[in-house]
Amino acid sequence: MSILEEIRKNVFDGDENNTVELVKKALDEGKTAQEILDESLVAGLRDCGAGFEKGEKFIPEMLLSSESMKVAMVVLKPLLLEGSGIGGAGKAVLATVEGDVHDIGLELVGTMFETAGFEVRNMGPDVPTEDIVEAVKEDKPHIVGLSALLSNTMDVMPDVIEALADAGLRDSVKVMVGGAPVKQDFADEIGADGWAYDAASAVPKAKELRAQLPD
Amino acid sequence: MSYYMYSNTQEVTPYERMMGSLNGEKTDRVPVNYYPRWAALEYIGATFKQTWDDPDLYVKAQILGQERFQYDCVIDYDMMGPVEEAMGAKLKYPENDVPQIAEPLIKTKEDMEKVKWKLDPRKDGNMPKVLYVVRRLKEELIKRGRGTQHVPIMTWGSCPSRTAACLTGFKEWFLIVARDPDWAVELMERALDGWLQMVVAAWEAGVDCVWVNDPVSSRDCISRDHYEKLTQPYERKFIEAIRRETGMKVTMHPCGNWHDRMDLVYQNQADSYFLGPMDVEMCTQKAVETNEKGLSRVTSLNGNVGAATKSTTDGQTAVPYATTMKRGKPEDIEKESKAVIDIVEAADLRCILGTNCWDVKGSSFANRDAMVYAARKYGQYK
Repeated sequence: MSILEEIRKNVFDGDENNTVELVKKALDEGKTAQEILDESLVAGLRDCGAGFEKGEKFIPEMLLSSESMKVAMVVLKPLLLEGSGIGGAGKAVLATVEGDVHDIGLELVGTMFETAGFEVRNMGPDVPTEDIVEAVKEDKPHIVGLSALLSNTMDVMPDVIEALADAGLRDSVKVMVGGAPVKQDFADEIGADGWAYDAASAVPKAKELRAQLPD
Repeated sequence: MSYYMYSNTQEVTPYERMMGSLNGEKTDRVPVNYYPRWAALEYIGATFKQTWDDPDLYVKAQILGQERFQYDCVIDYDMMGPVEEAMGAKLKYPENDVPQIAEPLIKTKEDMEKVKWKLDPRKDGNMPKVLYVVRRLKEELIKRGRGTQHVPIMTWGSCPSRTAACLTGFKEWFLIVARDPDWAVELMERALDGWLQMVVAAWEAGVDCVWVNDPVSSRDCISRDHYEKLTQPYERKFIEAIRRETGMKVTMHPCGNWHDRMDLVYQNQADSYFLGPMDVEMCTQKAVETNEKGLSRVTSLNGNVGAATKSTTDGQTAVPYATTMKRGKPEDIEKESKAVIDIVEAADLRCILGTNCWDVKGSSFANRDAMVYAARKYGQYK
């Protein structure tokens, strides 16, 4: 097993300590931070997400995997940011909608967006709709990313979209939605501009949506 | 067509209808209970915070809401908060929502000692306010029933897993489940008593039945194995303690998707189950199976009109359409209601018509009326 595969497995298994040690070792061996992120950390987390979809992994195990990624990112992030040009890709406001206290996915998306060159304002979990609207007014982001883990809080997402429209802000931003119970059909139904399966696939989707807006 | 019918004058009272169904008995028709917090508040035009600051206004909302919508049960404040707050947690009170934990109380094992585990509901925190509402509801219902309580009062209790998660924060709770199951057990063991005392005090103050819920043990959250070994035994312990102390009928709400573990859920010995957004046919079949094996005592199933969403993370099992209550039409409510009544009653369990999650804020009055209309139209017992 290559060292990148080994890191991937450790992320999948949620072994935080081993993951960090292996990341350092991989850097010493000449692997780039981007390679480690894409081929090990994101891949490991995707494996874990696939396990979640299949009913083999659950939130506790997902959290351990995301904790492994998080500690590894402490080592990798400075290296990744060196060449990324923060803000070059655009601005994003991220929030978990009101009533939902889950922020694992949101944190991951924030990290991935930053490393992809977005300037990110991560508002965290349980954010009132009016605060999201206010943040959009203040920051004028290109992307608004909304997250919900609970099936009864995802219904707040259309309220946010409506509130943005009421505030006259809807045309200036692209709204992305995500979270375990949120699917493409729901995104279409509520009039969101984009949906992504996971944090990694949220990045190309955000870039695609950003490109549809004027500079 | 208007579904709105104004009548509290039927021969069978909502009290008899609801309590009958919880006992597994047929009265005149299927009762309706959708945990009507927002229906009542929206009817009188008050926010939750206004009624929290003025308990008499909350009582007014419940009484007038029931008279307007004709459902078969009223509820007290029915929320997470008073017990956790009395234990030492700091809450935030949004203008129009139930209180939420502002900051986790327990971050380390040492923090366990800071928690006030032994509570007196008559004295501690805001628990006396909840009891005041129960007493006032009772008085008003007896007064309006001309000496007879014509509508039952339901209270709420938090399963130990939920209480523990509120005290530690949900994310930390799941990490504790993964990293330190023994600590998870200790937390649930200590968390059980506060809510038990609250439910017992509410019973002494006049409630007639209780529902409990667990939103942290579904298939969306933890494995079947973790549920079976860690949290289910504490649900059962909590439910059995309530029954032992009060004799009340207990309704359990498995919140979210529990498709792979309904056999275990039914073994926690509640009398009735307020189903989440799940396949009602499968849930009914499982209830019959576990009852036949002597493993459960299910008398009735409460639900299951779409209040939450159709998306379940297994992506395979059909469940009712997403947010019918909020975005559907009265005829959608009627259709879903009929399906639920037909399925549950065909299995000779009692159907208590309701939503598949909490009453949805902002549902139209017409949709709420349509559910009662459907119970009257399709839920008559011959």
